[in-house]
Amino acid sequence: MKLLVLVLVTISALFAIAGGIWVAIALVRAISSHRAAPESKSDISRENSSVPD
Amino acid sequence: MSVAVVVAYGALLTLVAVRARAAREFAEFSLARRALPLALVFGSLAATYVGPVFSIGFVGRGLKSGLLFLGIGLAYAAQNVLVGLFVAPRLRRLRGCHTLGDAIGQKYDQKCQILAGVISVGLCAGFAAVMAKAGGDVLRDIFGLPHWSSVVIVVGVTALYTTFGGLRASVITDAFQFSAFAVLLPITLLWILCFHFDGGAAAFAEQASRATSDGLDSTPLIEIIALLAAFLLGETLIPPYANRALASKTTRVSQNGFILAGCFSVAWFAVMVALGIVARGIIPAATVKEVEAGGKVIDDFVLLILFKSTMPAAGYALLLVVLISIIMSSLDSLLNAGAVAFTQDIVKPFAKLPDRAALNVGRCATIVIALTAAAGAVAVDSIISGLLICYTIWAPAILPALIIGLLVKRPRPLAGILSMGVGSVVAVTLWVMFKFILHWKTEAEISPIIIPALAAALLAYLVGHGLEKTQSGA
Repeated sequence: MKLLVLVLVTISALFAIAGGIWVAIALVRAISSHRAAPESKSDISRENSSVPD
Repeated sequence: MSVAVVVAYGALLTLVAVRARAAREFAEFSLARRALPLALVFGSLAATYVGPVFSIGFVGRGLKSGLLFLGIGLAYAAQNVLVGLFVAPRLRRLRGCHTLGDAIGQKYDQKCQILAGVISVGLCAGFAAVMAKAGGDVLRDIFGLPHWSSVVIVVGVTALYTTFGGLRASVITDAFQFSAFAVLLPITLLWILCFHFDGGAAAFAEQASRATSDGLDSTPLIEIIALLAAFLLGETLIPPYANRALASKTTRVSQNGFILAGCFSVAWFAVMVALGIVARGIIPAATVKEVEAGGKVIDDFVLLILFKSTMPAAGYALLLVVLISIIMSSLDSLLNAGAVAFTQDIVKPFAKLPDRAALNVGRCATIVIALTAAAGAVAVDSIISGLLICYTIWAPAILPALIIGLLVKRPRPLAGILSMGVGSVVAVTLWVMFKFILHWKTEAEISPIIIPALAAALLAYLVGHGLEKTQSGA
């Protein structure tokens, strides 16, 4: 039981670290390729129309 | 070495902010062109909600009440998951919607949109003032600067990139700041557990159990219920979160972003509370007494003292900068959300603005809200009570009208306006009465306001709905 508390805390810490690394990778992709913000209005309308709501 | 670490972090943040580019049209300033991918929505949501309370505050609570606040924090996680499952996708599905006010305007009418806009701008300025105070406190403690100049530096730097870059700059810098604190603070916990905490698993469980018993003994049941209500409802879909739901690439991204952010909050609270628990075995009782003898509340200093006593100088400097990042990532989102609400919900209903003019109004509003927040930071007593006041006004003022409006087929405008008006008035009146007449200030005294105010808002909604239904039927 005592060990379980510490194991859960360690798993939580590792989960948080994994979240941080995942977002860091997405950030590098976004700022290096500008994928998060299409350049022209036609890109927007194409993207919005192709995305199922 | 410490200076080099701080300069390197600042340079990296500047590089990221510059790479985010200046917004060139209002759609980019307000919604980042509705193109945000899942990882950025999740990271930005988490960076926005992890502010001073969910970091410095929770570590202090971990020291004093152990796992109690982890239990209370579960209400916050549940809120995020519920919003992700039931509200965010409906919000994202609305067409041409930039703000919560827009959503309320589409469901009710323009008067409701304007009222929602006024409440949104006021609350964003209030939340931003609390963040400005927290940022000023941390910077003052690190560099020994006067409080007002610390506030000006934090608010000035944040306002600079938010004014030019809008939501996209806010989300990109949030992602950077999130990555930094989501990696570094849990690593710090593991470092302390491995190299500084004596006694291993048994000692940790012992400290956690003793602190939790202390917390349960010293917290009345009504306070626990009120805190659960505040964590469950108080921050639900505040304007920066709604903007991220609306700016998501698809409804699925919007839904999953909130669900993931909810799951992350459980892990985050566990890490913060665990830091507080290990601090019980590391910070000497004499240090706690020394801080409290100076008239300060120990809760706000546990994390700083823990860093100082366990980390090498460069690591300590890096963690301090990360703490400021935690605050800036919440502040930038609030400044942008307030500015967008002002432009879209208050100015646009009265004046037809070309896109360029709307962008300029949004930028000017960002600066005005930042100035208001910096000035208001002086009036904030404490970080937690400041946030609780904002929670107790936001939930009754907006949530019944917004959530019922999104869920029912034909919401009635009278119900919306009555609910928002009565909810705001009851919450503000009770707060003024408690603070200035009864001189109640602590969170135990402030937090229960949310319950009667929410009940009044719901009742007003039902009355408005019934009245308008009768009129239209007659």
